[in-house]
Amino acid sequence: MSSNQTVPVAEQKRLREKLLKKHNVANIITHWFNVLIWLMLLPTGIAIISSPRLGVSPIWMQEWFRNMFGGTANLITFHYTVGFVWISVLLFNIFVGWKKYFVPFAMHRVLLDKDDIDWLMIKPFQMMGFMKDKPLPPQDAYNGGQKLYMFVVILGSIGIMISGPVMVFKAFFPPILKQIAQPLHFLSVFSIVAGILIHVYMGAIFPEEKEGLFSMFSGKVSAWYAKMHHEKWYWEKIQAELDWEDEINQKIASETKEHQEIPLEN
Amino acid sequence: MANDTKKRFGFVIDISRCIDCRACLVACSVENTVPYTHTRIWVHDQGVKGDWPLFNRTFVPYNCMHCDNPPCTEVCVSGATYKNKENGLVLVDQDACIGCGFCVEACPYDVRYIDEQRGVVDKCNGCFQRVETGQMPACVATCVGGSRLFGDFNDPESTVSKALKNAKSVLRLDAKRQDGKSTGPNIYYTNASVEMVSLLTSDKFNQMEGKVPEASEYTVSEELWKKLIIPVLGLGIAGSFGLQAFYFTKQLIEGEKDVEE
Repeated sequence: MSSNQTVPVAEQKRLREKLLKKHNVANIITHWFNVLIWLMLLPTGIAIISSPRLGVSPIWMQEWFRNMFGGTANLITFHYTVGFVWISVLLFNIFVGWKKYFVPFAMHRVLLDKDDIDWLMIKPFQMMGFMKDKPLPPQDAYNGGQKLYMFVVILGSIGIMISGPVMVFKAFFPPILKQIAQPLHFLSVFSIVAGILIHVYMGAIFPEEKEGLFSMFSGKVSAWYAKMHHEKWYWEKIQAELDWEDEINQKIASETKEHQEIPLEN
Repeated sequence: MANDTKKRFGFVIDISRCIDCRACLVACSVENTVPYTHTRIWVHDQGVKGDWPLFNRTFVPYNCMHCDNPPCTEVCVSGATYKNKENGLVLVDQDACIGCGFCVEACPYDVRYIDEQRGVVDKCNGCFQRVETGQMPACVATCVGGSRLFGDFNDPESTVSKALKNAKSVLRLDAKRQDGKSTGPNIYYTNASVEMVSLLTSDKFNQMEGKVPEASEYTVSEELWKKLIIPVLGLGIAGSFGLQAFYFTKQLIEGEKDVEE
């Protein structure tokens, strides 16, 4: 944050007060829906895995959840019923919002470009204390790390959505698929969980990114934050604003022209 | 004993009395509505042995041994198959079972099978439904030769404990789990001839078709999961937790001075 030296105080204040829309309602709802479902699925899922050979969950947790739901079978039924809700709502959202939300999001916010790759080459070393003097390339609405994690989430979700039903519809799938599905389900979930720890910390606790959390409710971030953390996206937004102004000006100009022409005809 | 269950139900099978009539198979299938394609009990024929005129032929019936340290419950991911703490029977909760077959591979006695129709694993449940009401399992109740006995090994007055005391020879088909523990099967074969005992424990027997017991096998998926996926993901999660813990501690120590840039 050395660039703030050159920005005058009045300009800083103006940027802090100006809000830019980062997330649309569809994203916000889907995000918090995901949070709710994951809070139900992750603990029940961990509690289901009771194999002493794998040793994933402690015995008190296994027994607690089995007692709470009334046995292994009920616990599993709860897990896959909520999972079914998760899959169907998510797929519904994707298909209903395909043109308006999904395709633009996938095209403009997820794909990695050269700046992201440079960012990924520099940032991890900076976190370890090296290359402090090297400037970070400007970032999109999501930075390189976020985009990389988004790929993990997308692949993981696909893995969960495929392996889950294989285990639920047990009479339709051969044993070999059910054998593969279990580690795959585990792998997908815990790859996402590894990133979620960072995601939650950065979003909710880390001071520099504080606005990120509030933007997940309001959908808006301050221009100051956008300029500092997502500069490329900030200029895109400004460009869009300028274009919009030009458009309006043209419209007004053409309308006034029409108005001026009318009295001449009469 | 490794598993302290209150009761320790098991079978005593008098090999010298089995005549391979397979009434136990039928009774079991009727009692438990086992599909036609499967049985929960098998009788292993050792073939004709000896020289004329002293022929003998021995049959070894077997079903789930309700082991003290079952390898099958150890690999079951969800605990759908478990050892009942009350009576020591190894049972399958078929509502929870998804029929992946980890346990089928792990069982050294090959007594588990996958019911393809329902997509679940099935096996001898010691006729739990009958035992609870004080009856003998169907196979024991129907055994004409009195070869099969069922009871609680923890109770010194039970029929099985008495039969063990009076037996000429006792044989337990022990197998090893991957962690080196003995399975401790709860079927005791009694009154087998000396030749039979040495045959059943020999390497030659282990190489025979339908051998009992075979080595406990672990499926590739399960092994991969245990030995690769869990350590790698464990490291990943520990790493990311450590990273955020480091920054959080730093934040607590240094305060939130970075907020107002």
